[in-house]
Amino acid sequence: MQGNLTALSITILIILTVVLIGFVAGRDKATRSSVEEWSVGGRRFGGLLVWFLVGADLYTAYTFLGLTSTAYTAGSLAFFAIPYSVLAYFISYFFLPKLWKVANHHKLTTLADYARERFDSKLLSSLIAIVGVLMLIPYICLQLSGIQDTLKVAGTGFINVEVVVITSFFLVALYTFFSGIKGPTYTAILKDVLVWAIMLFMVVSLPIIHFGGWNPMVDKMVTEAPHLLTIPDAGPKGIPWFITASLVSALALFMWAHAATGVFTAKSADAIRKNALFLPLYNIVLILVVFLGFIAFLVLPDGTDPRFALLRLIQTSYGGVAQGLAYSTIALASLIPCSIMAIGASNLFANNIYRDLINPKVKGAKLTMITRGMVFVVIGLALLFGLVFPTALVSLQLLGVSGMVQIFPAIVVSLFWRNQTREATIIGLVVGLAVTFIVYSTGFSFGIYEGFWGLVANFATIVAINPLFVKKAKFSTNAVKNYLFDEVSKKTEYVQKGA
Amino acid sequence: MKKILLILFIVLPFLAQLVVLPFVNRIDPIILGLPFFQFWLFLWIVLTPFCTFGIYQLQKSEGGLD
Repeated sequence: MQGNLTALSITILIILTVVLIGFVAGRDKATRSSVEEWSVGGRRFGGLLVWFLVGADLYTAYTFLGLTSTAYTAGSLAFFAIPYSVLAYFISYFFLPKLWKVANHHKLTTLADYARERFDSKLLSSLIAIVGVLMLIPYICLQLSGIQDTLKVAGTGFINVEVVVITSFFLVALYTFFSGIKGPTYTAILKDVLVWAIMLFMVVSLPIIHFGGWNPMVDKMVTEAPHLLTIPDAGPKGIPWFITASLVSALALFMWAHAATGVFTAKSADAIRKNALFLPLYNIVLILVVFLGFIAFLVLPDGTDPRFALLRLIQTSYGGVAQGLAYSTIALASLIPCSIMAIGASNLFANNIYRDLINPKVKGAKLTMITRGMVFVVIGLALLFGLVFPTALVSLQLLGVSGMVQIFPAIVVSLFWRNQTREATIIGLVVGLAVTFIVYSTGFSFGIYEGFWGLVANFATIVAINPLFVKKAKFSTNAVKNYLFDEVSKKTEYVQKGA
Repeated sequence: MKKILLILFIVLPFLAQLVVLPFVNRIDPIILGLPFFQFWLFLWIVLTPFCTFGIYQLQKSEGGLD
């Protein structure tokens, strides 16, 4: 199908504007003076800015395109994303402020940094970093295929899609290298405003265009496609899958390097608590997005590629200007998270793989330069994989959540359990990853989310073998343990006395 | 009393969004233009922040936050 020239021009104009803002955001040299400045903005961001950043970070092109295509093919299973992200923020309320305080006190910029300091183990930190980078690259690829699909629909007949995709990702890598986290933060505001405006516009206008209003549309769904509106009772994925997928994904959300990067930019633990409070409201957009998938099911002709459900729906429903705004929203939802993900992955690579494993002496200006330079490697790898193996990506991403959640005991449980040992944590992590992979590749999941089996095995291993090593851990201490357990207990005593 | 309230605020979001799903997985009744299952999920997007806020206030009143 031929694209629309007006729509294409608007999309490209908005992408270029955002790239420009990305560069302007870094005009002050201080933004790239150290790893802490470049990757977490010197931890100076207030509540609202963190809200925009985390929101921009987690609601990506893949969220919009993937959820609509899941809704289109699998109906209400797509709604697992709602309890998942609502619970993710709720759970984060209980551990993120604590994690932020440790990171702030010890000048840590990645989750792997925390694990290294908490357990005195470079093996554990590099293991976590390897898992993080390995899972993040397919995720960046997904963003890439998001913008590629969008440009395909918008620009067929006018441009060479591959060339434009490569150029736009190169520009994003360049502004990320240049401005660090400041780049995606300022552009995130524009992206979030566009996302809300466009999604609300579509949800109001599409039912009117195609059905004459919201209620007639719901009536039509109830009579013509009731199977879309509830979780299926039969089939490989039912309610047990829905529940375990929601829970495991919720636990995994802040284990992603890009989510952690967003959180570490906050200026106080209270800014993080307020974010945990308000972020669930962002999910109202998500419910609307799933409904767009249902509309696509009713409106589009049979045989439409589900991957293009949302894009084709936009194409058949709107004129050039509205199409252009909708495409640019999806394009920004692909480019901006990509920039934050690249920062997260580069940071892990430079700090926890290169420094912890290969060259422990590197520091200061050289480490900052290596971290920034890694952006090109990460985005380059994602481009390469994305253009060469586009179909393998979706399953890699599905495995990604199940893989990422395996570091939950090392990062979160260790904040509360003083005698958790390094040995048990490492073995648990390896067992969890192995079980997840085996369940995934053999298909013996018994209707339950793969990562759930891995996480259960992971926890069980840690609890079972921890006593073997606990003697040493009980009497040993270090700066992080001291900060987490010994000082805190003193502080509460003080508070109780004061009260 | 405060302790019970705290536990309630912590447990409710999990109970409502995971445990009771088999019972709310239905189309009727349609409320606010949403089939019941979707309405239920929407309701807890709005109610969960209230639970978090309740916990925040309880912790604050006990001086547990800094």
